[in-house]
Amino acid sequence: MSENWLLKVQDLSVHFHSPRGVVHAVDNVSFEIKPGETLALVGETGCGKSVTARSILRLVPEPPGEYASGKILLSQDQDQSIEILSAPIKAVRAIRGERISMIFQDPGKALNPALTIGRQLAEVFGEHRMDMILENAGIEPDKASRADKMIAQQRASFLQIRLFSLLRSKKGKALQKSIDDAVARALADTGIPNPRKIMKSYPHELSGGMKQRVMIAQALACDPDLLIADEPTTALDVTIQARILELIQEMQKRRGMAVLYITHDLSLVREFADRVAVMYAGRIVETGPAVDVLASPQHPYTQGLLGAIPHRRTPRGQLAAIPGSVPQLVSPPAQCHFASRCKWAAEACKSVVPLLNSTETSRKVACLRFDTAEKLSVDIGDMPARAEMGEVAAE
Amino acid sequence: MSGTTGSLAANYGVETDAVVSLNDIKVHYPVKEGVLQRVAGQVRAVDGVDLTIPKGKTLGLVGESGCGKTTLGRVIAGLVSPTSGDIWMDLTVEQQRDVQRLRNQNEKDFSEQDRQLWKQLTTGNRLGSMSREKQREYRRNCQVVFQDAFSSLNPRQLVRDIVGRPLRVHQEASGEDLNRKVIELLERVGLGAEHMLRYPHQFSGGQRQRISIARALALNPAFVILDEPTSALDVSVQAQILNLLVELQADMGLTYLFITHDLGVVQHMSDNIAVMYLGQIVEYGPTDQVFDNPLHPYSKILRDSNPSLEGKRSDRDWELSGTVPNPIEPPHGCRLHPRCPVAAAGCGWSVDDVLNSAEEKTPIIFETITTVERRDDFNAEVKFRDAEAAKSFATQVKSSVANLALDRPPELKGESVKLSFNEVPDASIQQIQDGRWTSCTRTQELGALPGFEKDKG
Repeated sequence: MSENWLLKVQDLSVHFHSPRGVVHAVDNVSFEIKPGETLALVGETGCGKSVTARSILRLVPEPPGEYASGKILLSQDQDQSIEILSAPIKAVRAIRGERISMIFQDPGKALNPALTIGRQLAEVFGEHRMDMILENAGIEPDKASRADKMIAQQRASFLQIRLFSLLRSKKGKALQKSIDDAVARALADTGIPNPRKIMKSYPHELSGGMKQRVMIAQALACDPDLLIADEPTTALDVTIQARILELIQEMQKRRGMAVLYITHDLSLVREFADRVAVMYAGRIVETGPAVDVLASPQHPYTQGLLGAIPHRRTPRGQLAAIPGSVPQLVSPPAQCHFASRCKWAAEACKSVVPLLNSTETSRKVACLRFDTAEKLSVDIGDMPARAEMGEVAAE
Repeated sequence: MSGTTGSLAANYGVETDAVVSLNDIKVHYPVKEGVLQRVAGQVRAVDGVDLTIPKGKTLGLVGESGCGKTTLGRVIAGLVSPTSGDIWMDLTVEQQRDVQRLRNQNEKDFSEQDRQLWKQLTTGNRLGSMSREKQREYRRNCQVVFQDAFSSLNPRQLVRDIVGRPLRVHQEASGEDLNRKVIELLERVGLGAEHMLRYPHQFSGGQRQRISIARALALNPAFVILDEPTSALDVSVQAQILNLLVELQADMGLTYLFITHDLGVVQHMSDNIAVMYLGQIVEYGPTDQVFDNPLHPYSKILRDSNPSLEGKRSDRDWELSGTVPNPIEPPHGCRLHPRCPVAAAGCGWSVDDVLNSAEEKTPIIFETITTVERRDDFNAEVKFRDAEAAKSFATQVKSSVANLALDRPPELKGESVKLSFNEVPDASIQQIQDGRWTSCTRTQELGALPGFEKDKG
């Protein structure tokens, strides 16, 4: 493989079957993530960013969901790669948590309210780090009997059937201690001040920021190569938001993992992402380095999105709102989805699907203003006004 | 320092007529325990707020979740009755001064003239004691737009009924006349006659919020409380709604109370801003000035943690430590001090602060505490299981900021440590510059935020 990438999404389309028709939630989305990089997937409600993220872990329920086309490749050792969408489910389960893990938007909903934090985290280690637990309990993984493994598994599992452990209480205790130590270490890593106390508490006893830290600890327990953070701070206050994002950034630096941020907040992108991909109505409309895209957005939608952010310098009442609303994605027509809200829209925009074109090195835009009539074989009079390359959005 | 000291009645913006003035508003919710439902404590959701909302302006109320901003909004709307304190409506400048003067006097000492005036004010302008007629008028005049347009619109009613309801309740219109008025209102908020006979679920989030706004405007109010009106919306739709609100304000001469946690929105929308923390207002002033030069550590931290689209990433040299304290027993003195980066001796340290920090930082030592014998909140004897723990606890106290607030160094006697703090009164909000109010005691002393005295010149 010539290029160095960790995850490659190629022409991914995800459809949902509903009584009203087929919803094209994600439509021919392609991007790649390099090791250690931070990519932000930005867009408004319903643009398909969360579905894209969930597809990477194959978490979209089928049915009603359907992976209509595309590939998701995860690179492995020796220039090998695994295709997540077609791999056997056992292989996918081995990837989940181990190589790719995910933080969800609302930590209050993502944690099990009936279990203590300690038990929830123990499950991760029981599932993925059995050898380590056995070793720390003084049992050699290779020589461990089936019963030993069983005890460890049960100590870690939230079901906690103590049948075996009662028979072998000494080993059981050693294993329990080993598991607790591992959990405490994972929690302490995320800056939780007294992990032993947190382990004994239930999710409702913790604040939102603390719950999100627990989620991060759980997600990072197995040193994944890629962390998907789906709106990790939307449910949190600003003062805590900054701390959580800095924590993720710090963990990323320390462990060299890649991060895929899913967010609707462009101002976060600038501070925390290397590259950004802007999504609109199921398609990526613009990608590029975060700093460049935010400084000089090229797609009319990105420009609109940036202009809509309230700012003290914009005179009151003159925010550049994008008129209209997001189109329905039930059997959408083959056209630029933004055409109905775009001020440059022309005839060609209503009949051609714009593809991602490179405008500069490392920047791509899906807009006919950056395309030529010859290539699309449409009448030149129908094309929208051409945009200057690298034009700075003055409006 | 150019402040007026000691006056509890912070009377912001006395130079303009006020739509609503609040005096020492408190909302306490009892916490009940056990089979007998014994009252174990009070959650102080709002604890002593003085606020004046000037006519024709937008006042932004910001704070984090749980600071009491929504409760305060509900109190003003008359949806929650305060535990104590007065709400005054429509006071002119003179009346505000009279209220201020009379409130500071004992009612028995009133002169005959004052007694007359007080009676006139309370029956004419004070919520709760004014006539039914007036009460009704206040309700008409003060409308609310709620945060979640999904749950604040009745899913079983048509838009016509939702928007027309206030008109019907107040017997303003009926029949054809009502329809005509509803269409007028819908057009005003950017919808049309074709939307009148639809149900709320047929609309997008932004459109629903427009319906909410239309309903709030139905009775031609002078004052609208906007409780996080855009936090459930996307940025592009948020921009549409904000533009609409500004346009309506200009057209109808509305006064807004804009409650939000989004600093970008509040900065864009409001003339004045009040920052709330743990049930109290900690800073009040013109928006631009508060953002450029905050006078309370909490406002500065709030500003700096807000991600911005331009400029260098603000250096977050100040951070809040720990978590929000329990609102049942809020800290003494300034409520921020246990988390404040620039807290000093006079900020109101007490026994609880030391114990809480021990619990957070050194749980192992905290667990060895056997009993805490307290004389009051500022004096106590902490007993430990062994002398070693007591010793390390004492050293920990000595190394913290709280040490400066101790009357005498912690007395180590075997397994117990005696602490006695200097008692500090609760912080009150005071004017320290023209139109700028802060409750930070250190800022009040220095005339500027600690560490920024020189910048002020």
